[in-house]
Amino acid sequence: MDYVGSRFPQFGPPGPPGRELTSAKIVVAGGFGVGKSTFIRSIVESDLLSMSALPPERAGGVTELVRIQFGRVWLDPGLALHLFVAPQWQDARAGWTDVVRGAVGAVVLFDIMRPADSVDAMRYFEDHHIPYVLALNNVHSSVRSDVNAIIRGMGISPDVPVMNCDPRVRTSVREALISLTEHAKLDRWRRRPGPDETTPLAPVC
Amino acid sequence: MSSSSDAHRRRRRAETPAEQTFADLMNGFSLDSGRKRAPAPDEVPARDAAPVAPQPEVPSFDSVFAEPSDASIVRAYAWTGGRTRSNINLEIETLVSANDQSRHSTGILQSEHQRVVELCHTPRSVAEVAALMRLPLGVVKVLLGDMAERGLVDVHQTASAGGDTPDLGLMERVLSGLRRL
Repeated sequence: MDYVGSRFPQFGPPGPPGRELTSAKIVVAGGFGVGKSTFIRSIVESDLLSMSALPPERAGGVTELVRIQFGRVWLDPGLALHLFVAPQWQDARAGWTDVVRGAVGAVVLFDIMRPADSVDAMRYFEDHHIPYVLALNNVHSSVRSDVNAIIRGMGISPDVPVMNCDPRVRTSVREALISLTEHAKLDRWRRRPGPDETTPLAPVC
Repeated sequence: MSSSSDAHRRRRRAETPAEQTFADLMNGFSLDSGRKRAPAPDEVPARDAAPVAPQPEVPSFDSVFAEPSDASIVRAYAWTGGRTRSNINLEIETLVSANDQSRHSTGILQSEHQRVVELCHTPRSVAEVAALMRLPLGVVKVLLGDMAERGLVDVHQTASAGGDTPDLGLMERVLSGLRRL
């Protein structure tokens, strides 16, 4: 059956065969129509894939398959970053386990006209100690300070970074992802001071 | 193709006679059910994507990819012998890739395994395999878990596997990768 091998001579886009491969994931959450898919599409520069999953039994009464959209981009020859749209389950708290477990963190897209839509997601991440950032969808800079006051008034921790983000603009999306990862790194340092991490509050890398 | 892989395969079959029989039986049922007999134009792309080796006609398998319906999902779970969990820890972002053994034994694989092997010539995540094969995530996890146990695919564990937060080294890599984008 050697001809099978000859039909696929290339191992793939990333790196040579035998290279250590690993992956990471980031979750993108927020209300309907806030730009979650657009956000991911901007950074992966291709159409999103969509997989189906059965929600866990806990979801209560939901028997239909749930579609979860995602995109993937190779950050270096051995590292694939996956970006998952947090699915809109009827009970948002029930079905996110598979998507969220082991994630670097989450970007919560936030439409200031419809703040309530994103509150569920924020609560979920707060409750589960998952680092997240708030990305305000295309807010005019003049209202920024008001928005900040509103958000802080909602009881969101002051540690959570808040930024403007246009999901259609690649650089804007990239900045949001970078500040999430930096925030998650800091969070990790603070939360898990291991024996070889003796200075948890000084993350100089 | 080595005889050792044949022997390995036979051994596996001997170990799991009940599951194999049950899956074959279920597949047999759906083949003759007639429900899927309506001409499905979508069958063609699925066939085009996988013309690697001459294989027995399994029309129902292709139509599973073409139009996932309730019936096909039931059949997909029949491949897994009704199991819904895998012995191997697979997260949705875990990368899998076909290895040399699977490349050399394509002709003797079950058709669904063969399709996975073709997909995974480039490393794919569990989520990608589920999306591209249009199978529910749970089915794909069991399928890939079986194949990993048989040594047909390599599983590249993520640093975040096991429900833990990713380690700092991985985060640093993500950060520098994002800055390069």
